[in-house]
Amino acid sequence: MAITTGGATGTPVAPPAPATQPAAPATAESGASRRGATGPRREAAWRRRDRRWGYVFVAPQLVGMAVFVLLPFAASLVLAFASWNGLTALEWVGFDNFAAQLQDELLLKSIVNTLLIALITVPVGLGLAVVVAVALERLRTRTLYLILFFAPVVTSTVAVAMIWQQLFRADGVLSTAIASVFGVAPPDWLNDPSLALLAVCIVSIWSSLGLNVIIFLAGLQNISPSVIEAARIDGAGAWRLFRSIRLPLLSPIVFFSSIVAFISSLQTFDTVFVLTANAGPDNATRTIVYHIYDLGFGRFEFGPSSAASVILLLLTLVITAIQFGAQKKFVHYEDDAA
Amino acid sequence: MTIGLAACSGGGGGASDEDTVVWSTWGTPEELTRFEEFNTDFMERHPDITVELQPVASYGDYHSKLLAQLTSGTAPDVFYIGDDMLGQFVDADVLLPLRDLMESDESQTKPDDFFPGLFGVAERDGEYYAAPNDSNPDVLWYDKAALKAAGITEDPATLAEQGEWTTEKYLEMNDQLAKAGLIGSMFWNYWATHYSWISAQGGTAYDEDGTFVGNTDPATVDAVTTLGEEFQDGTFVVADTMPEGAGADSVFVTHGAGFFVQGRYTIGTLTSAGVEDDYDIVRWPTPDGAEAPTGVAASYLAINGRTEATDAAFTFWTEFLSAEGQTFRLQGGGNAVPSISGADDVVLEDGYPAHAQSFLDMRDIGFANHPAEARVPGLSGDISALFLELYEGKADAQATLDAVADLVAEQSGE
Repeated sequence: MAITTGGATGTPVAPPAPATQPAAPATAESGASRRGATGPRREAAWRRRDRRWGYVFVAPQLVGMAVFVLLPFAASLVLAFASWNGLTALEWVGFDNFAAQLQDELLLKSIVNTLLIALITVPVGLGLAVVVAVALERLRTRTLYLILFFAPVVTSTVAVAMIWQQLFRADGVLSTAIASVFGVAPPDWLNDPSLALLAVCIVSIWSSLGLNVIIFLAGLQNISPSVIEAARIDGAGAWRLFRSIRLPLLSPIVFFSSIVAFISSLQTFDTVFVLTANAGPDNATRTIVYHIYDLGFGRFEFGPSSAASVILLLLTLVITAIQFGAQKKFVHYEDDAA
Repeated sequence: MTIGLAACSGGGGGASDEDTVVWSTWGTPEELTRFEEFNTDFMERHPDITVELQPVASYGDYHSKLLAQLTSGTAPDVFYIGDDMLGQFVDADVLLPLRDLMESDESQTKPDDFFPGLFGVAERDGEYYAAPNDSNPDVLWYDKAALKAAGITEDPATLAEQGEWTTEKYLEMNDQLAKAGLIGSMFWNYWATHYSWISAQGGTAYDEDGTFVGNTDPATVDAVTTLGEEFQDGTFVVADTMPEGAGADSVFVTHGAGFFVQGRYTIGTLTSAGVEDDYDIVRWPTPDGAEAPTGVAASYLAINGRTEATDAAFTFWTEFLSAEGQTFRLQGGGNAVPSISGADDVVLEDGYPAHAQSFLDMRDIGFANHPAEARVPGLSGDISALFLELYEGKADAQATLDAVADLVAEQSGE
């Protein structure tokens, strides 16, 4: 569907300025041009100075990136091929750490748990966010709701996990409510291996809901009103409008969010660490990052820990590649129809 | 990512000169306050030495931070180490050998002053690399009101004094408690409880070479079989898996269980609940009623092998561990038992519990974590996970002990 908002190129045409409109303030460049004092050489000096200041402003981030991301990444790659406990001399072991990790039942359990968390939290979390965003779109008081939904995003994960820990207690609100409504014994979420992972998923979905709602709401508001109007004129109802117009046009944002959410789910650690007392009963909530932490800082086995880190990196790349491959089937861009 | 997580371990520096002693430990706010008081007292006696405490709130974070500090050369001069982590640091030769210093004239802590079973993996080839700060024998706390409610008329501590505190008698009491709808006994699932039970029943978990032999020792297999059955039928309960809000401490102070296996720190739990009059302690039961060695939890104090303040650090170390130092630290709190001779009054002075002498008797013959386990970080936890499967009925005693033997052999590199 071609969309035009005015003019042959589709670019909005601004109305002529009224005669009484004050002149726009001169920018540095336009002012300099009017004065005629700046030739090409003078402009280049401005640019050079701007560029230098740009480097100055970017430098802290680059240093931080190098120190806290690139160097540790390189060190992890090196350590993955070594045996080192942090105290004694480093010993090269080739691919032994990878071989041992791939046969380690705990790593396999960690991968399964992590994928389960991702497969539950990503679709449920994003689906819920779309529903909430659509519900809030036309609400006049949506700012209030957005603040409420966004509060968990800006709250420390540790604080969130500690609050939910109280809610999930055997005598906590959730268990008591379930017991009174369904007349069953109250579930002990965090000590029951079959429920502990679900508890982690619930907290993860709750924590990320606000951010996804904000993103989807922005996406919904970015859809051209003329498209919606055209569909309405064609007789589309609310559901048809959502299914055939809004959701397809929102799909690029859903795709972006699913990539981010999936990668975030693969890195689940702090919720597990705090909520389920170090990976819960019988390692029921042991995730890959917790596995990496446990090997490195619980057992001082930095070689296997680094090997597990590399395995997580490869897993993330593979899953992201699959998602990019699959996007062609369900992601629709507004320009596609043009 | 591993290295990225290392950045979260935090930094911190060691001493910068030979007159400053930086030391670190974990602890509750109350314990850390007491340690600061010790520092103040110490500096009044030694105005030439400055002492700085570098505390870490969580035990779980403590050793990873210490490791990062040792690796980066910024570790404190003196530091605590847990009994499940000590072996790693001893084997890495990062701790100052202490025998000569301990035997010197300046020492207030001669090797023979400590109870020998408490050194554990801190002693290697006749050299000492750390010494226990204090200790906590895992005794059987019992609730006289709960026993009475279950119709039990005999007093366990009295039976022990008469040499009649047998396994049979103990299990009978547990059965009666269970029939009365109460929990028989609550145990924390860690090395000291399962090895205490094995030892009390005449079994042998490790031989003198540090090889796990429990799976081939009939007495151990029988003992673990009985232990598993008691957990599986609900007479014994694993305190670790009790629900939040209805945890072991809550159950015990509300007279919901007959026995609770814990250390001296239970005094604080009982006094804060105002129910201390109903409780007493007894040693572990044995088949013939005679006392037997059982597990003693301990933390250790070591000196950094790279300290620039060796003399000042040892002065602090020896005074901290001395009888006077332990008395200073342990009085009033009631949370541990001295690891050195000459400080027993701190346990007996309040006359509580009535059989407080049992703490001392059990410490005198007790044993620290087995070196084979203490040398491998995480191994004790992995073994406890195997025992938990037994307690939950997912494995039988023989299979559990076989799995433990395999795990120990694998992790020890045998």
